[in-house]
Amino acid sequence: MTRPFLGFGLGLRTDHYQHIIENKPQVDWFEIISENYMVEGGKPLANLDKIRADYPMVMHGVSMSIGSTDPINKKYLAKLKTLMQRVEPKWFSDHLCWTSVDHINSHDLLPLPYNEATIQHLVDRIQQVQDYMGRQMLIENLSSYVTYDNSEMSEWEFVNEIARRADCYLLLDINNIFVSANNHHFAPEEYVDGIDVDRVMQFHLAGHSYSGDMIIDTHDHAVCDPVWQLYEYALKRFGAVSTMIERDDNIPEFPELREELAIAEKIAQQTLTKEQLVISDDALPMKGAA
Amino acid sequence: MELKQLQHQFMAYLLGQKKDIVNNIQSTPMRSAEGRMDIYANAYRMRLKEAMTTDFEKLHTYLGDEQFDMLMDRYIDVYPSHTTSLRYFGNHVPELLEKPPFDEIPVLKELAIIERAFANSFDAKDAQFASVAQLAEVEPSLWAYLQLKLQNSLQILPFSYNTFAIWKALSDEATPPDVEKKAEDSLWVLWRKSDLISHYRPLSAAEAAALIAAQQGETFAEICERLLDFFSEEETPVQAVTMLQSWLQEEMVAELAVVEASD
Repeated sequence: MTRPFLGFGLGLRTDHYQHIIENKPQVDWFEIISENYMVEGGKPLANLDKIRADYPMVMHGVSMSIGSTDPINKKYLAKLKTLMQRVEPKWFSDHLCWTSVDHINSHDLLPLPYNEATIQHLVDRIQQVQDYMGRQMLIENLSSYVTYDNSEMSEWEFVNEIARRADCYLLLDINNIFVSANNHHFAPEEYVDGIDVDRVMQFHLAGHSYSGDMIIDTHDHAVCDPVWQLYEYALKRFGAVSTMIERDDNIPEFPELREELAIAEKIAQQTLTKEQLVISDDALPMKGAA
Repeated sequence: MELKQLQHQFMAYLLGQKKDIVNNIQSTPMRSAEGRMDIYANAYRMRLKEAMTTDFEKLHTYLGDEQFDMLMDRYIDVYPSHTTSLRYFGNHVPELLEKPPFDEIPVLKELAIIERAFANSFDAKDAQFASVAQLAEVEPSLWAYLQLKLQNSLQILPFSYNTFAIWKALSDEATPPDVEKKAEDSLWVLWRKSDLISHYRPLSAAEAAALIAAQQGETFAEICERLLDFFSEEETPVQAVTMLQSWLQEEMVAELAVVEASD
């Protein structure tokens, strides 16, 4: 299928609700954190509905724990599906990680060892989720700070293989590639080159912080120049990919974040043709649909 | 090593229990395996503390940074998260505050109950708002069989201390009054109106009894019977109707239904 291109979006954050509802600023789409709206009612859902009426959305989760060895959390999936019916997102995503084990939740995106057994575990579980949700999902690459002894391949080989075998798509976080490249000493371009072009459906951009020799994925700064350069490199390989900026801490006023998104638009305009950048905001089809 | 075992070991490190996982993590000249795992362990506690700080703002102000930090550390150790959303992580804070050493200041638990009640009201399930006009449409002969469905957000909270006054002062960034134990528990109602804002007010013993009965699905006739403990037979109908009207005006009632007579 031809990859849908939503254009340039932002992560929807409560700090910006009022500005968005009152001013309806020009943004092609918003990404919501699914868990923030997996509640029964009240303001979170009322604001979501108001903003959804004016903008396309995608749903991004942080608690699916797809890599956990606990059974898949059916209650969580049921709530996610209910929210999906409300939001009608273009697609939904979560991370290639585990967050909980023995039903204890770390509320963090924890890394997995890159080996065949883990690939098979992930493929089985992603397929279960896709079957239950009736749609293909996107999985996102992490920032990580450890390397397991029993890893047998590069992260990009691991990510790519899972996407192929599970027949899911990738949400490629450009900042996370940059962060992990620093923390694990590889060339970020090598990562980008190792990913199948047709599997990439969305990009994330974000800022990070330094802690000695390590970079921590904090989402509390503007996107830095080397990440913009890597974004340009990724555009050359993948073509037009729906792109958004994640900001979770030290959140600036909405217009400032919108200006930052304009940098992404400008880089894309300089790198790709007008024809490539035509918005085609199709949703990922339901599974089994023609 | 199997993935399951690896995840158990990783979690044990985050929980501060065992450090076996470091034997399965690569060290680099710049940073040891333990140094790398500490990034996760620190982030784990920081994230949970951030959630608690947001959810228990008044309790934090009342206790001060140091005591609140001690409370958070204890809480994180005793109540690891079993939910997929941080929104519910702090659900057991009132429970912890019942235990030593926190039970020496009982008002702490009551403050935590208020803050949880606001959170629960904030995102409670949406419902309709029944009106006085709807009540007027009910045949007077059927009033006895009226059943009220109250707002999902509505909570009736008992307090032994002047906790709401303390909460209000903290909310207004004023100096809280001294703790004062009430001769009898006071009951407060907290609920969300159609403006999506949570409101609260004290209840008289009579109104509390009536509202609890309504919440439990009792009919208007049964609610009136409860009120006979507080008012004379002559006064009761007027008092009951006045209460019902004010609950409707204050948007506490979601639906009015007439149930069939059971006798």
